[in-house]
Amino acid sequence: MASYKARLREFEELVARDDIDMQKLKNLCFNGIPDEATNRALCWRLMLNYLPPSKKSWSELLSRKRELYKQFINEMIVSPGEVDAGDGERVDVTFADHPLNLNPESNWGTFFKDNEVLLQIDKDVRRLCPDISFFQQPTLYPCEEIVNSGGSKRLHRRVHHTFLKSANVERKGLGITRIALSVRKAPEDYAPLPEGSEAHWEVVERILFLYAKLNPGQGYVQGMNEIIGVIYHVFASDPDPVWRAYAEPDTFFAFTNLMGEIRDFFIKSLDEADTGINKLMNTLSNELRAADYDVYSCLQQQELRPQYYSFRWLTLLLSQEFPLPDLLRIWDSLFADSRRFSFLIYVCTAMIMHLRDKILENDFPSNVKLLQNFPPIDVRILITKASEISMRKKMYS
Amino acid sequence: MSYAYMFKYIIIGDTGVGKSCLLLQFTDKRFQPVHDLTIGVEFGARLVDIEDKQIKLQIWDTAGQEAFRSITRSYYRGAAGALLVYDITRRETFNHLTTWLDDARQHSSSNMVIILIGNKNDLVSRREVNAEEGEAFAREHGLIFMETSAKTASNVEEAFINTAKEIYGKIREGVFDISNEANGIKLGVQQSPSANSLSPTTKSFYQNTGCC
Repeated sequence: MASYKARLREFEELVARDDIDMQKLKNLCFNGIPDEATNRALCWRLMLNYLPPSKKSWSELLSRKRELYKQFINEMIVSPGEVDAGDGERVDVTFADHPLNLNPESNWGTFFKDNEVLLQIDKDVRRLCPDISFFQQPTLYPCEEIVNSGGSKRLHRRVHHTFLKSANVERKGLGITRIALSVRKAPEDYAPLPEGSEAHWEVVERILFLYAKLNPGQGYVQGMNEIIGVIYHVFASDPDPVWRAYAEPDTFFAFTNLMGEIRDFFIKSLDEADTGINKLMNTLSNELRAADYDVYSCLQQQELRPQYYSFRWLTLLLSQEFPLPDLLRIWDSLFADSRRFSFLIYVCTAMIMHLRDKILENDFPSNVKLLQNFPPIDVRILITKASEISMRKKMYS
Repeated sequence: MSYAYMFKYIIIGDTGVGKSCLLLQFTDKRFQPVHDLTIGVEFGARLVDIEDKQIKLQIWDTAGQEAFRSITRSYYRGAAGALLVYDITRRETFNHLTTWLDDARQHSSSNMVIILIGNKNDLVSRREVNAEEGEAFAREHGLIFMETSAKTASNVEEAFINTAKEIYGKIREGVFDISNEANGIKLGVQQSPSANSLSPTTKSFYQNTGCC
């Protein structure tokens, strides 16, 4: 406990300085950011290069970025056909834009195209973290212009869903004992909130939509929702309201920076490139061979290829493999890694090695299932193991 | 566990049509209202009985989004059966079937058995695609057809088992070359086939390999 308090104090002292020593901060974060105080959200903003180490520029930068984000909303979340005509005035609409306009410059054309992307995002954000209730709860800081627009600017309105109430049916098969799982959320729980308020998932939907609009070469790829969900959750649960109020724009920019580093995993034409996902899976495979040859060759013999499990591990930075609190702890280390994301590879290697006894005993189907449904583990053990692998690697290279 | 054959399946179709839920209902007999997005592939396995034979089904459930298409393709190879799924409450998932089918035909063995599945038929009031349309599409393209509900488990067993029956029938007719694993069929280790139930091709396979 004493050491925990000491660590907390170290953090506080470090971030209290006008010029934050990033190397020291990263070293501290690598060992986990204490859940108390505002540290995690602030440290992530710093480590994701959204905030510079020098505090002098913070207030100017933050207000500029947040203003810019507001502008994005105003410019990009618009419905065509909102023409301001004076009362009783006759307007010539001969050359006006209309829903069946085939002109590529047509606002209506863009609107319909955007809605296809939006439909996808909308479905995915309604599946965010079903094990916790956070995303269905109202945010204390809704975007006023959107939630008071009489519904016209609500994104999900554009891809409108209807809901039916129904009961969950569960069946027991012959001789199969069902193990009761915690109750997950049903789609009905992700209902939009009434005028004047909005749920956290609606905020995430907006951020992703803007991201997709601003990055047309990449667009929206499934899995981005999982990554952004974690960052937003951290920013939006910051105990300090001064920061919490800006969770939305700050998440947008921090996520954009992070995507700048891992974007290639999400671009299929780059799957084979040096920065692409296949290369990364190979790196993991090589790392495993060096660290635990027996397990490596067992998986090889079973023809259990790394892409069967590590594709998801790596593209999502492990966000689907662990419960949220554990994941936050892992991301502290991943973001603190000065050679991002080599530590991710070591964590994955440690995950496989942790299961070594089972893997060596199991057949192919049991091993795929095991690796695709990683069993609960004390993450500290995992991080320690990964650090050992990383140290050994440094010693020999 | 001993089994006579192992069949490899792949489940394909647009995102959100219920592929993972069908698999979960079939392997675990439960329904999860909000399933995690499938990124890459997920795996499931189960034993079924077809004509008194134990058959192991190994099922690969794939991600539906276009961005993952190139990854999905690598799983067609060596699949004996494919479940092509659409959502009866979303017309666009039905409209995309041709693209999926072209992809499947192009990247799989020509003998792969494909079953067309119209899922979510518990949501009748939101239906956008009639059963007749699904049937017609299946007839036109030579597929088996069923409507299912992963939620109520209606027809889920049947969909997986009918596909297995069709594959088994093809083995007995000698259509499938079971010596070639690229067809998605593997013989069980403790297999002792009664010679007269098998086609000439299959018989010669046993003679050649001297398999148990």
